[in-house]
Amino acid sequence: MAPQARGGLIVTVVGFFAGIWLFLAPFLVEYQKVGQDWIDATKNDLWTGGALMAFSALTLILFAAFALRDAARDAEQKNTAEAEES
Amino acid sequence: MVKYVIGATGALLGVLAGAWLMLAPFALAYQNSGADWADPTFVDFWTGLPLLVVSVVGMILYVSGLVEELRRRGIMRRPYAEPAGQPQAPSEPSDNASGSENNMEQVLLPLVTAMLKDMQERDRGRSETHQETPNNVQQARSAGEEGSVRS
Repeated sequence: MAPQARGGLIVTVVGFFAGIWLFLAPFLVEYQKVGQDWIDATKNDLWTGGALMAFSALTLILFAAFALRDAARDAEQKNTAEAEES
Repeated sequence: MVKYVIGATGALLGVLAGAWLMLAPFALAYQNSGADWADPTFVDFWTGLPLLVVSVVGMILYVSGLVEELRRRGIMRRPYAEPAGQPQAPSEPSDNASGSENNMEQVLLPLVTAMLKDMQERDRGRSETHQETPNNVQQARSAGEEGSVRS
């Protein structure tokens, strides 16, 4: 895997964990009491964190899928070239 | 190639999310401007800023990967790359000198050709005018002969 792709994947994973943090922060930092109505900050953090997790997960899944497709195509081309040479 | 586009799009969304998190406390007015920052503002701002920076780095990485892939496939050319099939062999200074002379000749050749053509046309025009007035020619000849006699 190219170093750029590796770095990009790490960044995407960091984004995913940032989403988890945002989702849990209102309750961990305790500016949202459990059982009470959600304040604006809590709603914002939950929506933003959820969206961040969703985007990051989708990016990871699609990146992995297309990387596998490229790897399979390269392997097929290599096998075909070797068969033609032999 | 598609994987890099997907990654860059995801990183761009991360950038936008980070920017929103930094602005949200003021945009949604759960942080009054001028007042001390509340806990939600601290959380949102200090989550948004690193997310923004990290996502920008990620986007640069994905885009550089995409550019590298495009260059590898020959879709994009490397800047200042030599054209394929014309390897530039190391040459002697004399070769460079002769090459510059050839270039000079190639530059000057159309100019010299045009000048020669122009001169030929002028000569042709002169000869035609002389043929049209033969008396003048005869007079000139006789004048020349007289001149030669006098001298």
